[in-house]
Amino acid sequence: MSKPRLLGKIIFAWAMFGLIMAPLSAAVGCDLNDPDRDVKRLFPESTGYKTLYVSIDQKGGAGLLREVEARLGDRFQGLYETVDVPYTMYQIFRGKELIGYIHGVNQKGRYGGIQVFLALDLEGTIRAFYFQKLTSQYAKSLRDAKFGEQFVGLNLKDFYGYNVISHQAAPGSRVAGIQNPAPEAESDFRAALRATKKNLILVDEFLLGNRHLTYLQKG
Amino acid sequence: MKIYQVAYKNLLRKKVRTGLTLLGIALSAWVLVSLFGFNRGYERALNRDIDNMGFQVLVTAKGCPYEAATLMLKGGTGLRYMNDSIVVDVLKHPEVEKITPMLMAAIFDPNKGESGGISAFLGVDPATYPAMKSYLKFTQGAWFADPDATEAVLGYEAAELEQREIGDKLLIPEKNVELRVVGVLSRTGTQDDGTIFVPLRTIQKVFEQEGKLTAIGIKVKKEANITLVEQKLYDLPDVQVVSLAQVKETIMSLISTAKMMVFSIALIAILIAMLGVVNTILMSVFERFQEIGIIKSIGAMPWDVFKLIWVETIILCLLGGGLGIGFSFILSKITETLVRSLLPYTPTGSLVVISSGLGLLTMAMVLGIGIISGLYPAWRAARVRPLESIRREGE
Repeated sequence: MSKPRLLGKIIFAWAMFGLIMAPLSAAVGCDLNDPDRDVKRLFPESTGYKTLYVSIDQKGGAGLLREVEARLGDRFQGLYETVDVPYTMYQIFRGKELIGYIHGVNQKGRYGGIQVFLALDLEGTIRAFYFQKLTSQYAKSLRDAKFGEQFVGLNLKDFYGYNVISHQAAPGSRVAGIQNPAPEAESDFRAALRATKKNLILVDEFLLGNRHLTYLQKG
Repeated sequence: MKIYQVAYKNLLRKKVRTGLTLLGIALSAWVLVSLFGFNRGYERALNRDIDNMGFQVLVTAKGCPYEAATLMLKGGTGLRYMNDSIVVDVLKHPEVEKITPMLMAAIFDPNKGESGGISAFLGVDPATYPAMKSYLKFTQGAWFADPDATEAVLGYEAAELEQREIGDKLLIPEKNVELRVVGVLSRTGTQDDGTIFVPLRTIQKVFEQEGKLTAIGIKVKKEANITLVEQKLYDLPDVQVVSLAQVKETIMSLISTAKMMVFSIALIAILIAMLGVVNTILMSVFERFQEIGIIKSIGAMPWDVFKLIWVETIILCLLGGGLGIGFSFILSKITETLVRSLLPYTPTGSLVVISSGLGLLTMAMVLGIGIISGLYPAWRAARVRPLESIRREGE
């Protein structure tokens, strides 16, 4: 058998059984698809970034998990929201100066995993919100920039008033004002709010030194 | 004092030189054990990967391979299909034990990622596929029972990425068809981990490919000659036949070229270590010329001197070999990571398999090298004439 034909077979076999599955075989961690491009898009003034990998297991184990769950107002659920999930956190720099953070979390959506990314300033205030991954018939509406803009300027203090189980936000709060652009995709909308709250708590815990924890305790 | 103790103490007289020689031997032994371990581990891992596919021969539509790769880039277009009537033709061959038809469907999902991506689904026959892949175990649920069900079974990583558990929904993009997850497979370390399995007839219906297949997996009877079966299958019209045994052979032959090069380098490393041992012991003999002369003048026979120097060499090689084998056990994970980063394709599972038997074999080889390396210095030492050596001291 000629070499090109054999090579063709090898390409085929591994294309068929390996390559074709490649897009589905990524790890469960929530990384930016293209960090260089994404960081520049979210922080145009940045000159570099540093990537940190942390997990609740590594930073405090079961005790920390209980604390995070208490702040979230919900238990971590299912097979995949576990204590050992690795969180990828990006510290953004302009020269040597730290100017912000980017962090994404996985969240169970109606038809698949949702990845919600937030770009935050040093105070933990949202300057950009977007879905990196979302499977829904109404994905177009939820991915619309206008939806994401509703989150800009909010921080963890605003989200403390949002109950992720009853899906009720404190009356008159800014979170209560976030409009669902696709009422048919209510479960994905709620998933996005839960993911945002969880995301902000994790950033507060791992990067901001629990800056917003005292606010919750006073409340 | 026994001869071994004398030899050992002699080695300690020049600690740095002995230490460096030991390190040279240790590195050579490490390379040797790791290479033997890789040789064994790679083939075993490749065999396991191919066995885990459950079938040895795959029949696909002619021209499909190249489009299959392009498919990922072009958004789900370009797959070639065969009529499912071919199943009957394949089953006519007496060498065929069982078969399983499959239909790969891929669709571009504009909402996947920021610029869209491909969602792939593998349509499998619930009556034959689970039996062919009996090694697949479930973390949750089980295979779909109904061949027409709008249900899905997810590989572990696919389920992890999509955060799916049994009872959850899954959407076929663009087609707006909801699938219910009925099973999540345990991790296998193979491509199955990233696969979304759907009943064949459901996929045929949803993607409007009724009566079409992209592949047929064939398990050949144990006593059958796979190459012969492959040749017979080539007689079927418009199909391409891929024998996974042949793929394995080709990969192994490609790897063997690389292995030969590495073994040659290892051989050179061993030769250098051997010369280092000869040099170290010979230097030691020359430095102790007078001492050896005195030992002989007080009654030591040439054989006694020969043994003393020979034992020194053997101790050096045994210690170095032991150290190198120890390194190979401790650093096997690092070796594996290095091998994985260097090779274009590596099967799943452990690539470097180091066993105690392998350690013993390497030790025997290092000992053999020690015995041979020690012959010349020991012979030189045994030939020292007492008077001549004492005269040299006087000079």
